[in-house]
Amino acid sequence: MKTKSLVTLCVTLLLIVLIGALAINGLQIGKYIVKPVGRAISLGLDLRGGIYAVYQGDTSADDFDAQMDATVTIMINRLTAEGYTEATVTRQGSDRIRIEIPDVQDPNEILTIVGTPAHLTFVDPNGEIILEGDDVKLASPAYDSNDGNKPIIAFELNDEGTKAFAEATAKFVGQVISIKLDETTLTAPVVQSAIPEGRGIINGFSDIQQAATIANLIMSGALPLNITLIESSAVSATLGVDALSTSLTAGIIGVILIMLFMIAMYRIPGVVADLALCIYMLIVFYALALVPGVQLTLPGIAGILLGIGMAVDGNVIIFERFREEYKAGRSIEAAAQRGYKNALSSIIDSNVTTIIAAIVLVRFGTGSVKGFAITLLIGVVVSMLSSIVITRFLLNRATRLGVEGEKLWTR
Amino acid sequence: MKMENNFFTRNTKTFLLIPAVIICFAILLSIFGLGLNAGIDFTGGSLLTYNVGEDYDMSVVETALKTAGISEYQNFKTGSGSVRTTLEVRTKDLGDQSETLRMAFEDELEKTYPNLSFITIDTVGATAGRDLVSNAVMSCLIVFVCLLIYIAIRFDLYSGVTALVALLHDICIMVSFMVFFRGLYQVNTSFIAAMLTIIGYSINNTIIIFDRIRENNRLLAYKEGSRKRVVEASVRQTLSRTVNTTITTLITLVVLYILGVDSIKEFVFPLIVGMLAGVYSSVMLSGQIWAHWVDRQIFAPITNLFKRNRGAVKKA
Repeated sequence: MKTKSLVTLCVTLLLIVLIGALAINGLQIGKYIVKPVGRAISLGLDLRGGIYAVYQGDTSADDFDAQMDATVTIMINRLTAEGYTEATVTRQGSDRIRIEIPDVQDPNEILTIVGTPAHLTFVDPNGEIILEGDDVKLASPAYDSNDGNKPIIAFELNDEGTKAFAEATAKFVGQVISIKLDETTLTAPVVQSAIPEGRGIINGFSDIQQAATIANLIMSGALPLNITLIESSAVSATLGVDALSTSLTAGIIGVILIMLFMIAMYRIPGVVADLALCIYMLIVFYALALVPGVQLTLPGIAGILLGIGMAVDGNVIIFERFREEYKAGRSIEAAAQRGYKNALSSIIDSNVTTIIAAIVLVRFGTGSVKGFAITLLIGVVVSMLSSIVITRFLLNRATRLGVEGEKLWTR
Repeated sequence: MKMENNFFTRNTKTFLLIPAVIICFAILLSIFGLGLNAGIDFTGGSLLTYNVGEDYDMSVVETALKTAGISEYQNFKTGSGSVRTTLEVRTKDLGDQSETLRMAFEDELEKTYPNLSFITIDTVGATAGRDLVSNAVMSCLIVFVCLLIYIAIRFDLYSGVTALVALLHDICIMVSFMVFFRGLYQVNTSFIAAMLTIIGYSINNTIIIFDRIRENNRLLAYKEGSRKRVVEASVRQTLSRTVNTTITTLITLVVLYILGVDSIKEFVFPLIVGMLAGVYSSVMLSGQIWAHWVDRQIFAPITNLFKRNRGAVKKA
């Protein structure tokens, strides 16, 4: 029992050191490369900079000001959906829109991320617009089985669009209704008969990929305004290079102080907590690198630092309960068992409340609220796991080492 | 230190008075136009673009801005390629003095970079538009409702309502201190993140106390009499956990505050205030308010409703 526990603890320690070294230095075996975790985590505009682009809005549009605001909102939603939760979209001057996207270095990439603006219109023979992209409820790429399997977009209109389209198709039977994307006419079909049910197809695509891309652009919120890219460039970190290194230094100092405090306060259990904390941090950093939608910003870093505090909290709760039982005269092993049991409901309820809050924010939040919530969620879930599983596992092994002495187990 | 054996439950009125005074004072200041100091993220402002003519050091730019009397700014180095020579300075709207301040800044910066040339001045909108704020508020309301339901199920309705009161207290205190320190700290997007963090963190503290209350309620010794006795005991039993956890969480924040640049301080300050407010509300207020309401059964009409419903379900 004693040696087995000792071996387990030593193996755990060795694993922490190995994975820690891997996280810091990275590894390359043949063609397999493991990046250092620090470089794999995507950083926000404030810490690493990115690119920006300025778009010119078409001022001839009706109700220009409101349309510009609507365009900004759609852009934000589109970027959030693409995983760029920390991107910012603002109005610049009276007729331009400025977009900033973090952690991308090549200004040309703006086109692939934001996409070419897709302003879809259905135009009648007199040049009047019948309906626009935002009347389209559903648009999906498909092959037209009636026409040599050519790529098409099948669409479905909302109630308003259906009504307008039904009226127009009834009025213009035998004439041409053109479907335009921005200034390009995609297809100009002759109306065969009135279409009352609000469904139809658009053809005129070179391949299915193009149909899919445009269907996506229409679905992700067609822009109510024509906009053109006038400028794009790389941009440096908003907070300057110092902010990142300062936060890292602060983090390292903070963690060392926490570790010393835990040992001073709880002795052997404190050492257990420190080991658990190392594992916690490794898991969180790898999770941040792997989970999409995370661009670490300054608030995110502070969120992690706070998460470390919360991870320690689970240990504190267990150890306080352990101490109560130990002082009441139980053996070290029994005190550890009971302490854990008593602490469990506290730990679960307190963490679940925070998890609920984080999930709601991930689900309903936009932009930086969502990005921050993802970081928070990772921190709390791992923290709960750390106290319930890792601390318990390590504490049980530690109590079986056969180390006695009140001073070693409690202050 | 020796405390009376009902220190935490005897002085509840005083404990309530302190935050009430703080919040009222902040409201008064806001009424007289000294409310929150909204930063560039919320107000937008001017965007100045320069070509510096050579690679440059951002700290020189910052010093020049400060010397010129422009205190609220965000700087960007932009351009393509390895040497970036374009400088963008985002400031709050400078008002009537716009020209004078700009000249002062340019004169100052030209001392170090003589090739500096002005390109454009433009207005920029708020990066944190009304959408972001209304979205954050809406999301928080949904969070509150979900927390209320969860706590009411796991504990009781009284605990749920009290926990929300404690949360509101913590947020109000945070906002109040941002009002008091309006000269030092502006409210930018990071403040929203700080509030969200505190919502997540502070509910933790309250739950730990309620969990202990729930446990003690089952003990024979506490079955009878006012709930105040249970609260007093529970707060005392969890006190060393509260203190130790607060210390471990504060350590990193304080280090970050000491080492950090201005924008980091602007974010960490409300976090520290919010954390301390959270500890205060969970130790001094939440249990006590819970006991007060339970003793008077103020939600009896609602809780009875649920009990009766449950009975009806069973019979059917």
